[in-house]
Amino acid sequence: MIRLDNIEVSFGDFVAIPHLDLHVKPGEFFTLLGPSGCGKTTALRTLAGFIEPTRGAVHVDGKNVTRLPSDKRQVGMVFQNYALFPSMSVWENIAFGLRVRKEKSADSDRLVRDIARRVELSDEQLHKNVAELSGGQQQRVAVARALVLRPKILLLDEPLSNLDAKLRHQLRQELKDLQSDFGITTVYVTHDQDEALAMSDRVAVFNKGVVEQVGTPQAIYDEAATEFVCNFIGDSSPLTAEFISELNRLSGANLRPDAKSYLRVEKASLTAPLNGGAAVGLAGTVVSRTYHGLHSRYVVRSHGADVRLLVKEDGGAHPEPGTQTTIYVQPGHVLQYHPETGVALAGKHQAVALP
Amino acid sequence: MSGASVKNGGGNAGSARSMLRTPFVLMVGAVLTWFIAAFLVWPNLNVLISTFFPDGGFSGRASEKLFSSQRAMKSLGNSFLLALALSITVNVVGIFIVLVTHYFKIRGSRILFFGYATTFIYGGIVLAAGYKFIYGDKGIVTSLLLTVFPGMDPAWFSGFFAVLVVMTFATTTNHMLFVGNALKGVDYQTIEAARNLGASTWTILRRVVLPMLKPTLFAVTILSFLTGLGALSAPQVLGGREFQTITPMILTFANTATSRDLAALLAVILGVSTILMLAVMSRLEKRGTYYSLSKVSSALQKQQITNPAANAAVHAIAYLLFALYTLPVVLIVLYSFADGAAIQTGQISPGSLTLDNYMRVLTQPSALRPFIVSVVYSALATVIAVGGLLFVARLLQKYKNWVASVFEYLLHIPWILPSALLALGLIISYDHPNPLVGGAVLTGTTVILLIAFVTVKIPFTLRMLKASFAAVNTSMEEAAAIMGARTLYVFRRILLPLVLPAAAAIAALNFNSMLDDYDTAIFLAHPLVQPLGLVIKANTDGAEGVEGVANTFVYTVLLMVITGLTMYLVYGRSGKRRSGAGSGTTGKRRGTVPPAPSPTAEARIAEVADSRAPAQAPVS
Amino acid sequence: MRKLQTLAAAAVVVTLLAGCGGGAATPAASGGSSSAPGGGTGETLVIYTNSNGEGRGEWLTAKAAEAGFKIEVVGAGGADATNKLIAEKNNPIADVAFGLNTMYFAQIKAAGALEPYEPAWAADVDTALGDTGSDKAYWPLVKQAILLGYNSDKITKEAAPKDWTDLWTKDEFKGRYERVTGLGTATAQLVFAGLLTRYKDDSGDLGISDEGWKQVEQYFQNGSPAVAKTDLFARIASGEVDMGQMPSSIIAEREKSFKVNVETVTPSVGVPLAVEQVALVKGTDKKEQAQKFIDWFGSADVQGAWAQQFNSMPVNKDAAAKAKPEVVEFFAGLKQQDIDWDFVQKNMGAWVEKIELEYMT
Repeated sequence: MIRLDNIEVSFGDFVAIPHLDLHVKPGEFFTLLGPSGCGKTTALRTLAGFIEPTRGAVHVDGKNVTRLPSDKRQVGMVFQNYALFPSMSVWENIAFGLRVRKEKSADSDRLVRDIARRVELSDEQLHKNVAELSGGQQQRVAVARALVLRPKILLLDEPLSNLDAKLRHQLRQELKDLQSDFGITTVYVTHDQDEALAMSDRVAVFNKGVVEQVGTPQAIYDEAATEFVCNFIGDSSPLTAEFISELNRLSGANLRPDAKSYLRVEKASLTAPLNGGAAVGLAGTVVSRTYHGLHSRYVVRSHGADVRLLVKEDGGAHPEPGTQTTIYVQPGHVLQYHPETGVALAGKHQAVALP
Repeated sequence: MSGASVKNGGGNAGSARSMLRTPFVLMVGAVLTWFIAAFLVWPNLNVLISTFFPDGGFSGRASEKLFSSQRAMKSLGNSFLLALALSITVNVVGIFIVLVTHYFKIRGSRILFFGYATTFIYGGIVLAAGYKFIYGDKGIVTSLLLTVFPGMDPAWFSGFFAVLVVMTFATTTNHMLFVGNALKGVDYQTIEAARNLGASTWTILRRVVLPMLKPTLFAVTILSFLTGLGALSAPQVLGGREFQTITPMILTFANTATSRDLAALLAVILGVSTILMLAVMSRLEKRGTYYSLSKVSSALQKQQITNPAANAAVHAIAYLLFALYTLPVVLIVLYSFADGAAIQTGQISPGSLTLDNYMRVLTQPSALRPFIVSVVYSALATVIAVGGLLFVARLLQKYKNWVASVFEYLLHIPWILPSALLALGLIISYDHPNPLVGGAVLTGTTVILLIAFVTVKIPFTLRMLKASFAAVNTSMEEAAAIMGARTLYVFRRILLPLVLPAAAAIAALNFNSMLDDYDTAIFLAHPLVQPLGLVIKANTDGAEGVEGVANTFVYTVLLMVITGLTMYLVYGRSGKRRSGAGSGTTGKRRGTVPPAPSPTAEARIAEVADSRAPAQAPVS
Repeated sequence: MRKLQTLAAAAVVVTLLAGCGGGAATPAASGGSSSAPGGGTGETLVIYTNSNGEGRGEWLTAKAAEAGFKIEVVGAGGADATNKLIAEKNNPIADVAFGLNTMYFAQIKAAGALEPYEPAWAADVDTALGDTGSDKAYWPLVKQAILLGYNSDKITKEAAPKDWTDLWTKDEFKGRYERVTGLGTATAQLVFAGLLTRYKDDSGDLGISDEGWKQVEQYFQNGSPAVAKTDLFARIASGEVDMGQMPSSIIAEREKSFKVNVETVTPSVGVPLAVEQVALVKGTDKKEQAQKFIDWFGSADVQGAWAQQFNSMPVNKDAAAKAKPEVVEFFAGLKQQDIDWDFVQKNMGAWVEKIELEYMT
């Protein structure tokens, strides 16, 4: 559906994206995830046609659109702040593109009402000024405005970043539902990993203009291809060489002690797994405990590493700081990265940096 | 207790009662009440009573005389006609030059900007004269045209048409200042959104950008209207027999003791029109203000005009306008080196340019002194007016109740009367010990002129400051209040820095406009501390010799230098800061950028009655 | 109160800075509470005048300093200076006023802002030219004829108009003379004083017969309106117009500047004379000093030097001998129009108003 081939974007001397290849499949919810300034918005704007790449090509639906202006690419866009026209009513905002295309006014009205119904905007709201709407309603107007022209692709630029946490959660779901309703290919930009993991079919993790990994949410979480992805997504504890050596000794695994090693917080445990499995126990001392209601977070020092882990508050034992304990770890859960390149080691996961 | 006012401010208008419980408000209120009573109400009431009730009884003489005079009615009609026409033409030209300098990608837009900005630094009779040198019957362009079309009327550039053209170009200053700034506040994402939806350059401009500028456009339209209403020098120089306006008549009558009631009546008619316009505008403003919806907006990027023919046409018009704007300035500078007779007859040759005029003006005994007096007076008056009104504007913007409204309307009094009458009011009220000022006599002191300068600047300053306070995000001061900051502290540390850029701009405009004041100074200046306006008048009056005209040009050029410097200090430097901040490629910025003063009317009936060059501009 | 203090402090700054810049006398600001009139300026005399242009103010200041007078000349147009003197009558700032003509001084005297005083040189001037009332408050200094001048390169003496009324009654002059666009200037008012008093009629509107008002109407209908900031002589030089009103003292100099030759018309009724006066301001606290200054300024020596310098025609008989011979000769041959100044002064305000409202188009 969308192909970005060998894209380079620079602004004067500054190279924002040195080299980018991406492929988005039809109907897919595809997310560009990364910290501020990583180039994800630049990539999206290149796709939208607001930025002309210095090199490379953009294809939409098999057609080269690299030199086409934004409105000829059949892409709809929802902006970070929605970019609603404050001087127009909700109806006028949604109908804007139709009127530009000189659709008959009866047709326009039908299409506007139709799309408004589908994004759950009432007739009464249609005649309000956009400033009178709540953040969530404004978002729906922005989506309706983008979708009413029946674009092939919907681009969303951090549309939830200005909202409060609760609304963000609610709208995240609404957006996802809308997308699956319409079945439209969607490219979504965010810096929020929760959002990316919860909404996407596939995620591309950006860092400094380069895609570190593309994969399903689970793949990038469990099999983070680079040290950056591992750190950016989820929560993990760095492990020491001493810890790895001990783990190798106890389990007979063949982990490299000199590599950079991490363990996800939910993968370590203070109780031995019921089915035994490959987990081995390492001795440690409880450093701290924070109570979170649903669970407690522990920091346990073991062989030089401060291992963070979660203990479910299910009425079981919860040791206090200072007590000796045992951490149970499966060697297969340890994520290892090359000390210089930061690329994932070990045979079992492939470095899938580029599809 | 001290935080009460802040908590009230969250959007609900504070009630009169809660307002009176805050010590900060009470203090400002007390000073304000005294100032209004002593310097706005009492003197002007005195002068109005003495003109309208000369013998204790009211006479309808003035209105009878005026309404039966064909000339007065025609002039009044012309003034209103000019005001209406100007409201349209200034918008057309003003919007065009703002778009060319701020919105479209135009080659050399920076140079164009400086050309269009020349109206910042000069105006009045000299500007009108500058145009006459070029397009008048002996003007350069006319001579050129005559060689091409020998049959044409050499006096083609006169009457309503000429006045309108000159005043249109002279009063785009407000567009450059306020519309230009408002344009910078447009969220670029909305433009991209529109483009993404398929809108053309023209559609985006017409349907998205201009509607967002509407409040500002509306306000500058009012300013244009009022400038037209008070037009003085352009009709005098170019209007000819057919197109004379009412202001010269007001000035003549104001100077004749027996006809002062006519002057006052005419001034009141114009003043009331001003206030009416203001009231209408405030109402429309409330209805039509669009606040940016976003907390994060993108800085504007210049738009390429994609249609090559349109692009070429816009470039051509832009440079044609550039020539129209800059030619008079170039000629004025040139003529300031020519001798008086050459200037008046329009005969000038490169060899005849000398430094004599400058030598004469600058080697007068104590030539520098009036410049310093004026700079100090203007600076002090500006600092007092802007400084004091910062508090007042803040309170008026926050408390919207009847007490505040009464104060606000009272503060507009100086817009109703011409400055000559304001000055007379101060003299007759304070030429004897008066308890309102602690039993002091103010005439003959240096203070009285300062008071007059401050008073005259109040309405404009107040409106602009209020507008800038309105645009400040209230959550910031709430945040400070929650952290326990006291009202004054919040004001000083949170609000002040936010409105300071706007305040500085207002201060610069005020400062420039007072530099060459004559109408107030002639009545109130201390004999030993005479400001520039009086010296200019003495040196330039047509009746006092041929050197007078040459001196006019020299003083205009010198004033251009001072006002240009002021504008540079305020705008040039902050402009650099702004563009520096906005040049990032992602263009994200906080939505709370301190506002361009979204202006309201700078009516200045008082100043429009000024025949010399009001520095900041309108060919009034 | 705090604001007042601020203002007072500000005033001090103004004065100090201004003093530094000019290097001239630095007066103490009378901060608001001083009750001393005249702004507490020590012995400096404040002189109001409309006759300070073209170096007159500087010349006078320098000459006065030689004679031991410290003076500060405050220039203002005739109407402005008159209004200012009247407005300040409760607390006068000026000590002496000069240069204003009889009409203006009559107004100021009527407002009670002048102090009667008989200068030392009273006997050397024609009292008919000064204050004709009983308490003589203003005294004549300089005579100025208000003339109709024409371009003598273009129009011969024979073909020239013989009187103002010819301008609109004879076709060849219609549109060729400059007419005023405002009656704010003393010269313009004197032209009309000269014209209207010929048609004095107690039953007419404002004491003028209908015939008189018709003349005014014709004057405005047939003249070429003056152009702001363009001197009449410039218009004559460029051929736009051929004639117009002019005070006698400026003619010689403007002829030179604009390279034109101008002759003047002497109507059979004579020409109006503007007589510039000097007077003592009522309520001055430097009365003695001010009187000495008047005695000095009106003396034959000073008036003679003034006349030499600025081509004026002194009223002082002894000074006339020191004036330029061509000027003296011109005035000797000049017939003065007999004008009832009392009548003019009483009505001028109303006349100006009527003309502005009804006849100026």
